[in-house]
Amino acid sequence: MAEILKFENVSKHYSNGVHALEHVNFTVNEGEFISVIGPSGSGKSTILRSINKLISITDGHIYLDGVSVSQQKGKNLRELRRKVGMIFQNYNLVYSLSVIQNVLHGCLGYMNGVKGVCGLYSEEDKKKALALLEELGMESFANNRASDLSGGQKQRVGIARAIMQEPKLLLCDEPIASLDPSSAKTIMDLLRSMTSKRGIACIVNLHQLDVAVKYSTRIIGLSKGEIVFDGAPEALTDERIERIYGTSRENLMIGASAND
Amino acid sequence: MTKKISLGVAGQKKMYTAFLIAAVILFVLTSVYTNFNPMTLVKNGDAFWSFITEDFLPPALPKASRIPGVLSSVLVTLALALSATTIAAIFAFFIALFGSEKVSPFPKFAKVVRGFATFLRNIPALVWAFILFSSLGIGTGVGFAALFITSLAFMVRAFVETMEDVSQDCVESLLAVGASFPQRVSQAILPSCLNGFLSWFLYCIEVNIRASTIVGMVGGGGVGLTLFTYIKGFQYDVALSIILLIAAMVIVVDRITGRLRKEISK
Amino acid sequence: MERTIGNSAAAQNVSKKEAKISVGCNQKNRFIPIFMTGTVLLTMISLIYLNIDWLKLASRVPQIGEVFCELAHFDFSNIDQIFSSILETVSIAVLSLLYSLVLGIVFGMLAARNIFRIKWLSVLTQSVFTFLRAVPTPVWVLLMLVCLGMGPEAGVAGLCVHTTAFFTKSFAQSFESIPDETIEALEATGTGRISIFTNAVLPAAFSQIVAWTGMRLETNFSECAVLGMVGAGGVGFVISRNLQSYEYGTAGLAIVFVFVIAYCIERLFVALKKKIAQ
Repeated sequence: MAEILKFENVSKHYSNGVHALEHVNFTVNEGEFISVIGPSGSGKSTILRSINKLISITDGHIYLDGVSVSQQKGKNLRELRRKVGMIFQNYNLVYSLSVIQNVLHGCLGYMNGVKGVCGLYSEEDKKKALALLEELGMESFANNRASDLSGGQKQRVGIARAIMQEPKLLLCDEPIASLDPSSAKTIMDLLRSMTSKRGIACIVNLHQLDVAVKYSTRIIGLSKGEIVFDGAPEALTDERIERIYGTSRENLMIGASAND
Repeated sequence: MTKKISLGVAGQKKMYTAFLIAAVILFVLTSVYTNFNPMTLVKNGDAFWSFITEDFLPPALPKASRIPGVLSSVLVTLALALSATTIAAIFAFFIALFGSEKVSPFPKFAKVVRGFATFLRNIPALVWAFILFSSLGIGTGVGFAALFITSLAFMVRAFVETMEDVSQDCVESLLAVGASFPQRVSQAILPSCLNGFLSWFLYCIEVNIRASTIVGMVGGGGVGLTLFTYIKGFQYDVALSIILLIAAMVIVVDRITGRLRKEISK
Repeated sequence: MERTIGNSAAAQNVSKKEAKISVGCNQKNRFIPIFMTGTVLLTMISLIYLNIDWLKLASRVPQIGEVFCELAHFDFSNIDQIFSSILETVSIAVLSLLYSLVLGIVFGMLAARNIFRIKWLSVLTQSVFTFLRAVPTPVWVLLMLVCLGMGPEAGVAGLCVHTTAFFTKSFAQSFESIPDETIEALEATGTGRISIFTNAVLPAAFSQIVAWTGMRLETNFSECAVLGMVGAGGVGFVISRNLQSYEYGTAGLAIVFVFVIAYCIERLFVALKKKIAQ
């Protein structure tokens, strides 16, 4: 399997003295579905945002498809970013635009000049966007305003926008943290099926340990900016969970510990 | 650190007392300094009252030949306020794009832009008018420039705040998509912030209707200048009807902007 | 990238015959484009009507630079005069604010519909103050100058008119936002109207009153700094007189003082707002 992403000794120190990442090393291969878990403030979000340089790292190298991310600027950076789709906790849609316009934002990275600025998308792109919405069960909402959707529907639009980019890698920053359990399940199922169908590698930040274990092919555990676990979900023993979260497994499950 | 005041009732009581004490101290200090005694107002009450009843009432119309001039001066004031605000709003939009660290393509300059706006804004419009009068001479054009400067500075700040409140999230998502700066502006910032921008624009119109009357008084032309001329000429009864005219103008404009604001936010 | 662009160009040729897919919203606010076009049109008409001689104005623009240069050559010889005048301006601003605060609470009580529940009284108070608010402050000061003669009285009284009108409207709004149940509960116990106001309504609206006051101080100071220019005293008088007699150094220093104080008040207010929001 081809290697898509490589972290080489990456560190990130914020100017206020916080060390968000310390000597992080890992690689991601095509088709992997990786969950990044860890307590709040352990650097999950920093890892994700450093991959597409929404945050610049202080030390080390990140190679995306063999290209070093930290040296990219301007046009090259934009071309690099469009290989990486991203899904956000707060959906980050433009709520005053229609659903399909939000999906079409995914192809802005491929457009140049006046067309991109004015939002004159090609008919082919529009068809593709509609097909994606249909795949996500959202085709009847295409011309609705994005602000009128429910949380789960907004996140589906977020997924469509990211897939629209034809990315090689999908980053999901707490995609289900603002959703109710049933929409959360729909979103995770969709993420899993859409990425495996297209062979897109996916990195998901998660708070829910059980979700991470159920869906991912590999789990990375972070604690205070360092990787303390990297392996298959089956290898995630209680002892290792305690090492990640600094507390036992029972304390992480709200009333669900009896079930497993 | 000492113990923090909680939001409980006790904390509020403390704030009460602090506020009251500060108010009383300030009251005494300023009263002594300015030598202001409300009793003088009461003592002069009779003279004051007779002045109002004899000199101001009843309001009189200006000479018939002057009426068209007065009405056109109202139009000048309205035109001045509207054109200065609109043009300032267009400039403010482009400047505001560079005034927010989260949106601007050159985040390092954002502070400079905001600092410049703060400087322009914290000097009152009338002071600007005077500075410009002494360099450009008297006239409507200078009134326009003075209004333009203050509304520009005000709207830059308001627009920057709106953008940081509303469009930070979607700007981030478009960054991740690989969109260029003009694309981010037209596809994320503009659609999500337009309502906010327009609402600030309407507020600025309301402020500028008043400000353009004042700027007119010192030489910018318009109804302010007309009023000033009548007061200087001791024609107080005519001045009163002009004041009524100004009040009517302001109230009508406020009503219209209020209505427009409702329509826009629908 | 070439692939996508090439493809989409080809697809455009093919799809020209088909109906275009619309991407807009179904429920658009049609009013906004009308409003924006209308504003632009009115602005153009206004500019034509004003008939400003832009060329003449532009030809004099370099002089602005000269004036600023001269303003920046501060002249410290009159600093005591500037200092006392700015102190006077601040005092007038604060004093009028405090008087208006008291008056505003009283009239706000009358104007709020839920305190005395006398409809004509609220309507009357509100319409009187709407009128007072519609006339700009310097006009009131000018009138007070005519009535009372020069001195701080005219400044304080003139500023009070507008500030009281502003407070009356804002406080009445704050009072009216208090839930009716609170008032009804006290009514049921047989409490008098005035004591309901002082014991329940006023404390509940307190933080809003503080916020309005802070906001108004900013306005009052800049209004007050300007009053001197229409003939009242204070720092505005110093600025306008020195500008007119080409004493740019003194005027520049006074303007810097005005800026610094306005800036401090703004910072103070921002800090206050943060504290209240906490």
